[in-house]
Formats: sequence, C-alpha cells, structure tokens
Amino acid sequence: MADLYSTFTQLAGGLRFTLGIFFLTLLFSIPLGLLVARGRMSKNIIVAGLVRIYISVMRGTPLMLQLLLVYFGPYYIFGVRLADLDVGPFKYRFVATIIGFSLNYAAYFAEIFRAGIQSMPVGQYEAAQILGFSKAQTFFRIILPQVVKRVLPAVTNEVITLVKDTSLAQVLAVTEMFTTAKNLASAQVSVMPFIVAGVFYYVMNGIIEIIMNRAEKKMGYYQ
Amino acid sequence: MSVLEMTKIHKSFGSLEVLKGIDLEVKKGEVVGIIGPSGGGKSTLLRCATTLEQITSGKIVIAGETLVSTSHSGLTQYTDKKTLKEIRGKFGLVFQNFNLFPHFSVRRNITESLIHVHKKSREEADEICNELLKKLGMADKANAYPCNLSGGQQQRVSIARALAVNPEILFFDEPTSALDPELTSGILKVIRELAEEKMTMVIVTHEMAFARDVADKLVFMDGGVIVEQGPDIISNPRQARTKEFLAGY
Ligand SMILES: Nc1ncnc2c1ncn2[C@@H]1O[C@H](COP(=O)(O)OP(=O)(O)OP(=O)(O)O)[C@@H](O)[C@H]1O
Ligand SMILES: [Mg+2]
Repeated sequence: MADLYSTFTQLAGGLRFTLGIFFLTLLFSIPLGLLVARGRMSKNIIVAGLVRIYISVMRGTPLMLQLLLVYFGPYYIFGVRLADLDVGPFKYRFVATIIGFSLNYAAYFAEIFRAGIQSMPVGQYEAAQILGFSKAQTFFRIILPQVVKRVLPAVTNEVITLVKDTSLAQVLAVTEMFTTAKNLASAQVSVMPFIVAGVFYYVMNGIIEIIMNRAEKKMGYYQ
Repeated sequence: MSVLEMTKIHKSFGSLEVLKGIDLEVKKGEVVGIIGPSGGGKSTLLRCATTLEQITSGKIVIAGETLVSTSHSGLTQYTDKKTLKEIRGKFGLVFQNFNLFPHFSVRRNITESLIHVHKKSREEADEICNELLKKLGMADKANAYPCNLSGGQQQRVSIARALAVNPEILFFDEPTSALDPELTSGILKVIRELAEEKMTMVIVTHEMAFARDVADKLVFMDGGVIVEQGPDIISNPRQARTKEFLAGY
C-alpha cells in the first residue's frame, strides 16, 4: 500500500514534465502551425517549396529521431556545450524536447489548418472584400473563426496523440511520467507503475475529450 | 450626374476574352437591368465594376473616383490602396447566394464593417442596423443566425448589409436565382421599393417582367458585348439576337 502511494506521488512528479511538454508544445506549435500553413499556401514558390519540404520531413521521419537531432545537433554540428544552452531553470534536454515537439506538431497542425482554410468558400473572401475589410481583418474576423470550427475534430485527434507522444521525451532522459514509470517498474519489479501511468494518460485524454466536446457544442450554433 | 462610368472595358481570362469593349453609364437614381444568355459576361461585368476582378483594359469611374484607367500607351493601372478602400465604401454588392457570414448573428453581419471598417460607434451601427431591419421586415431577427433563416430572409439580410454603408450604387447579381418563386416575389418587392426611393442600382436578372417594370434602362449582353440597350428593349427589341433571346421567355 505504501508502495502504491509512493508510486502515485512519484508519477505525479513526472506528470509535471508531461504537462509541461504538453502545454508548451500546444502554445508554440499552434501559432507556428498557422504560420507554416500560410507559408505552404504562399504565392512565392520558393517559400511554398521550402515549407512543403519542411512538412514532408517532419511528417516523414520519427519524432524520436527529431528529438535526438535537436538535442545533440548543436554539440556535434557546432561544438556548442549543451550546458550552455540551458534556459533559466530549464535544462537543455527539456528545452530541446519542447523545440522538437513544437516543430513536429506545427507541421501536422499546418496541414490541418491549410485544409480548413482552403475549404472556405471564396464567397466569404469576396463578401469581406466588398465590405472593405483589410486582408488581416478578413482572416482574423471572418475566415479563422470558421476554420477553427471546421478543424476542431482533427485538432482534437492531434492533441490526444500529443498526450501519448510526450512519453517519447524519455529518449532525452527527461523525467516525465513514462520515464518515471519505467524507473519505478524496474526498481519495484512490478507492472503497477505502468498501470498507474496508463490511468494518468487515460484520464488526461478523458478531460481533453470533454473539453473539446464542449468547444464543439459551443460552436454548434451555426452550420 | 453619373455614378458609374465604364468605358471600353475588356476582360480576358487567359486567352478567353469575356468582355469585348463594354460601355456602360449609370446615372444617379437610375435603375439598370442587365439581361442576356448564360455565359454572356453579365457577372464578369459586375465583378469588374465591384473590384472582384481586374479588367484587362478600359476605364471605370465610380462616384467620381477613378478606379482604373488605361493610358494612351496601353498601360492599365488601378488606383492606390487608399482610394480603393474609399471606393469600396461607395457601392454594395448583393450576391446570388448571399455570402452572409455564418458565424455572425444578423446584427453582426450588418454592423461588423460599419464598426471595423467605417469606424462608427457600436450605438450608431446598431441604430443603422435596427432601422434597416425594420425597413426590410426583419426587425425580430436581429439576433438570429443565417442558418436559421429562409433563403428570402438571408437575402434581405444581405441587402441590409450592403445598404448599411449608405452606398451610392448597389449591384445585384441574380438576387433571386437561389430562391423559390414565393420568396422571389418578396425580394423583388424590396428592390422595387429601393427603386422608388431613387436608389441607384444595377441588376443582373433573368426575371424579365420584373426587369421591364423596375428598370429605367435595359441592357442586353451576349458574347461579351452589349447587343442593345434602351428603356424598352424587352417590349420592343430591335436586334434579331435580342428577339431570339426574349422568345425563350
Ligand atoms: N474566373 C474565371 N476564369 C475563367 N473563365 C471565366 C471565369 N469567370 C467566368 N469565366 C467565363 O466567362 C464567361 C462569362 O461568364 P459570366 O459568369 O460573366 O456569364 P454570365 O452572363 O454571368 O452567365 P450566367 O447567366 O450563367 O450567370 C463564361 O464563358 C465563363 O466560363
Ligand atoms: Mg452570372
């Protein structure tokens, strides 16, 4: 019983990192994804081409490999001491995790946003233009709110995947929940820590589903 | 005084020339009806006048401001951004399929541009909105969303939205084509009332009886040219092509 209690508290300690990776990745990858989507639709063929390659590489290679590259790249390529890259209280291994996750998820979000933006009828742009809205006003007032509604189910999918993907941070020895569970399991010679961790992940995703369902309902006032 | 002057308008999509030298003048308070077979270039003409398409050559003057002109050397140049914005505040366009903003209430559809483009206060915008909705028989629908309205009601909102900036000229591209006959008559009545108030309008329509009644001038377009125009070309067509077209109605 004492074992279960300490398993619980130690996993909760790892949960802080899991949540940190989760929220910071969303914070950075969603705006970045929007920017990448705009780049992908750019009339400038060089910009559009580069962005296309970026998306293709991000989606076509394992996230784990990307994390390793972001982490070890500065050292092996530029000879930078990794300890020098710490950001305030955050070790570079955590910073690299956030960078890797954000770059990767931005690519997925970008494709979702692009599909959403391109599904908007041209009449919405034309009506906005006639009424005198600027390009920025048209995008933020007319187009984006409707796109958000259209892409919400796909975004929910990505967000749920992200919760589970946070466990990949173990390759950089970030002591998030999965790493903690693994360490506990081998110390206790028991699968209990894994089961408890599984419950944590499942509850997190349950909460996300509830929130996203509410959001969908809230936007359900129009078609 | 003319509110719209289109001179020698040419418009091509790639190698396809859709407008082949159109001259059209609309005077203040005049209602111009444009009729003609499908593919004749009616929508394209309206879209050029309303800045949705760029012309290949010619000259367009709206409410005294030159939108675009072609110099003697053949260079076609549009006006600067600031003037463009000014010109866009002087006309309205009513689309066949309304193009209302579905995520906005009726009120916001009408007031959004007043507030954020024309910098009116919310109170002022609301007042304009209430007045227009009352006039169009939609006073009780201010807080409804477009998806909960009939096609006819949606078209009324889109007319209100276009009227909100108090435009000098209003363009309609087949405003009743997406509506069933019952709803059509309601919208035609609204346009008739606007005509009685001396609103300057250009209306593309397939409703011949309506066009004949409401328009001061009728324009028959086919193959990218104006075949003939005049106050009574529906009752007394002179050109064989016009007669042939009207025989279908
Ligand atoms: N964006 C475009 N690209 C290429 N061709 C176009 C485009 N828009 C219109 N056209 C062509 O221009 C011609 C005129 O079209 P337009 O829509 O102006 O005709 P219309 O008189 O409005 O016909 P309808 O009565 O069917 O609405 C047609 O041949 C059409 O295919
Ligand atoms: Mg048309």
